[in-house]
Amino acid sequence: MDKNNAIEVRHLTKRFKVYYDKGNSFKERLLFKERNAHEDRWVINDISFDVKKGEAIGLVGHNGCGKSTTLKLLSKIIYPDSGTIEMAGRVSSLIELGAGFHKDMTGRENIYTNAAIFGLTRKEIDSRLDDIIAFSELEEFIDNPVRTYSSGMYMRLAFSVAINVDADILLIDEILAVGDAGFQTKCFNKLKEIKSNGTTIVIVSHSLGQIEQICERSIWIHEGKIEAEGKPRDVHPQYLDYMAQQRSIIAEKEAKRLKEKEAKEHPEAQKQADAQTAKEEEATEKSKEKKVKTRWGNGDCKVTEVRMMDSRNIANTSFNTGEKVVIEVDYQVIKKVSDGVFGIGIFRSDGVHIYGTNTRIDNLEVFDILQDGTYKITLDHLELLPGNYILDVSIECDQGIPVDFYKNAVKFDVFARIGDVGVSRLAHHWDI
Amino acid sequence: MKRFREIYNYREMINGLVRKDLRGRYKGSVLGFAWTFINPLLQLLVYTMVFSVIMRNGIQDYYVFLFVALVPWIFFSASITGGSSSVLASGDMVKKIYFPREVLPIAYVTSAFVNMVLSFVVVLLVLLVTGYGINFVALLYLPIIMLVEYLLALGIAFITSACTVYLRDLEYILGIIAMAWQFLTPVMYASDMVPDRLLPIWNLNPMKSVIEAYRDILYYQQVPQLSTLLVAVLLGVGFLIVGAIVFDKLQKGFAEEL
Repeated sequence: MDKNNAIEVRHLTKRFKVYYDKGNSFKERLLFKERNAHEDRWVINDISFDVKKGEAIGLVGHNGCGKSTTLKLLSKIIYPDSGTIEMAGRVSSLIELGAGFHKDMTGRENIYTNAAIFGLTRKEIDSRLDDIIAFSELEEFIDNPVRTYSSGMYMRLAFSVAINVDADILLIDEILAVGDAGFQTKCFNKLKEIKSNGTTIVIVSHSLGQIEQICERSIWIHEGKIEAEGKPRDVHPQYLDYMAQQRSIIAEKEAKRLKEKEAKEHPEAQKQADAQTAKEEEATEKSKEKKVKTRWGNGDCKVTEVRMMDSRNIANTSFNTGEKVVIEVDYQVIKKVSDGVFGIGIFRSDGVHIYGTNTRIDNLEVFDILQDGTYKITLDHLELLPGNYILDVSIECDQGIPVDFYKNAVKFDVFARIGDVGVSRLAHHWDI
Repeated sequence: MKRFREIYNYREMINGLVRKDLRGRYKGSVLGFAWTFINPLLQLLVYTMVFSVIMRNGIQDYYVFLFVALVPWIFFSASITGGSSSVLASGDMVKKIYFPREVLPIAYVTSAFVNMVLSFVVVLLVLLVTGYGINFVALLYLPIIMLVEYLLALGIAFITSACTVYLRDLEYILGIIAMAWQFLTPVMYASDMVPDRLLPIWNLNPMKSVIEAYRDILYYQQVPQLSTLLVAVLLGVGFLIVGAIVFDKLQKGFAEEL
C-alpha cells in the first residue's frame, strides 16, 4: 500500500444472490431444493481506485448503480467476492445514523453506547462528551430518554456522535439531510473543518452541489463499473447529460403509454377517468382552497391538446435550463369568441407561481376566435432551475371571462449542468 | 493478532453490552437480580431431591458434589445455547454498522461468566455455612479453571453463533444437544461410574476435565491433577482458536444473511 494513500481498492467485485424464495430453516433447505433457486446479480464489477490521505471524493450515480454497495464494502459491513480493499487508520461511517440507539436510555447514555460501537474507549468518550453535546445543541434534553426526542433531535445526536469520533477516514451516505437548514449548514461546515484537519472523506450523495463543494474528485459509478472519474466539474455534467437522456426516454415512454391507454378506453370512461385523476391531483395539491377544479370556463372554445416543443422541435417534458421552448396549444371552436385572450402560467410543483402572462397583458391586438387553430408562445430561454414544473393554459374572452381554463395541462421537468440555486437563472456576468 | 487488538479496542462496547445484559436480564421481575442466585439454588434443590432422596446414589454430601459442578455447567450451557443467538439478536446492528462481530458472542459469554462468578459466591457461602469447609490452597486454582472454561465456552459460542446465522434451526437443536451433553458430562455423577470400555470416547468430552477440576478443588478439596489441568488448558485454547477461525470465515456473510 502506498504511504500517501488512505484507501486502495483493487479489482473489487460483488454479486448478490437474489433468491426467488429463500428457505432459512433446515427443513426448507433439505426439502425444497428449488426454493434455493437464485440468480446472481453483479452489483460491483471490477472497480479500482485510490484515495489519497486527506482527499475527499464523491461517488455519484443513479439509484442502484452500486455506489452505496461500494460504501458498505469500504466500511466492512459486507465483504467483496473478489478484489481487495486496504484502508489506513480508524474508519467512521455515517451510513445508518443512530443504529444501536436505545429509546429508553437517555441521550447521554446513548452517546456512550453509540460511541462505543465506533470503537471508542470510555476515556476517549469522556473527553469528547462535551463536544458531542454542544454540537448536537441538545444540552437541555441530554438527560431525557431518547424516545422523547423528535426525529430531528434524534438525528442531530446521532450525527454529533459519529462526527466526533475523530476518524482518519469518514464514510458518508446521503446524510447531509440532518435536521433543519441551520443544522445542515453546521454539519457541512464541520465536515469542511474535519477535512482541513486531514481526514479522508468518501461521500455518496445525490446532491452534486454538496460534492462539488467538498470533494476534489468525483467517481461516477454506472452499472457496477467506473464510468468516469475526475474533477467534479468535469464528471458531473457528463453524468447529468446521461441522466437527462434517460429522463426523456422515460418521459416519452410514459407519454406513449398514456396515449395508448386513452385511445383504448371509451370516451365516456375517459371522462370519468379524467375526473378521477383530477380529484386525486386536487387532493395532493397544497392549495388552501378546499375544492380546486382543474378545468373550467363557459365552453365556447375548448383546448384539445397542449405540447411543449424542445430545441429540436420535438414534443418533450424535460428540458435543460436555458433551452428554447415553444408551447403549442390546439383549440376547437364551438361558438365564436369575441375579444379572445390566450394565456399561460407556469408553477413549480410545490405551488409557487413562477410566471404568467397572456395576450392582453402583452398588449397584443384584440382578436376574435372564429375557427379551430393553434396558438404558440415561444420562450427563447427557459431560465428555470432544476425541478418539477406545471404548465397551465387558458383562453378567455373580453373582461376576463374564462372560456377554457386548463390547469395542470402539462407537467415538465427541468435539468441543468450548472449547480446554481434558487428558482430562476438570472442573466449575469462577473467582474473580478 | 491485528484482529485481537481491534477487539480489544472495542472493549467499551463489550463492557456496555455486558452491563446492559446483566441489568436487563431480570428486568420487570419482582425479585430482580436475586434470581441470579435463586435460580441455581432451586435447580440444586430439584437435583438433590431426585438423586439423593429418590435415586439414592451413595455419594457423600451429594449436594456439594453436585453444586460445585452444576454452577459451571449452567454457565457453559448458557454460553452455547444462548450464545448461539447472540449475533442473530443484534441483526439490525450487524446489517447497518461495522464493528468486530466477535464482540457479540464475547459479550454474551462474558455476561454469563459474570453470572457464574456471582453464583460462586453462593457456592462458597454454602460450603462455609454448612461447615463443609474450603481448602484455600486448592482455591487458588479456581480462577485458572474458570478462565479455561471461559475460553472453551467462548470458542464454542463463536462456532454456534456464526452457524446459527446461516441455519436458524440450530438455536433449537442446540437445546437438545446441551441437555445430552450435560448427561454425558460428570455433573450429576462421578467419572468412575462410567464403564471402562466407553472411556476412550468419553474422555474426548472437553467439559469432562473442566468439571473434574472444579470438583477436585471444591469437593475433594485438593489441588487438581496436573494432567487434568493441562488437558483442560489445551482444550480451552484449542477450541478458542478453532472457534475464532470459523467465526472469522463465516462472519463475512453475516450482513447479507441476516
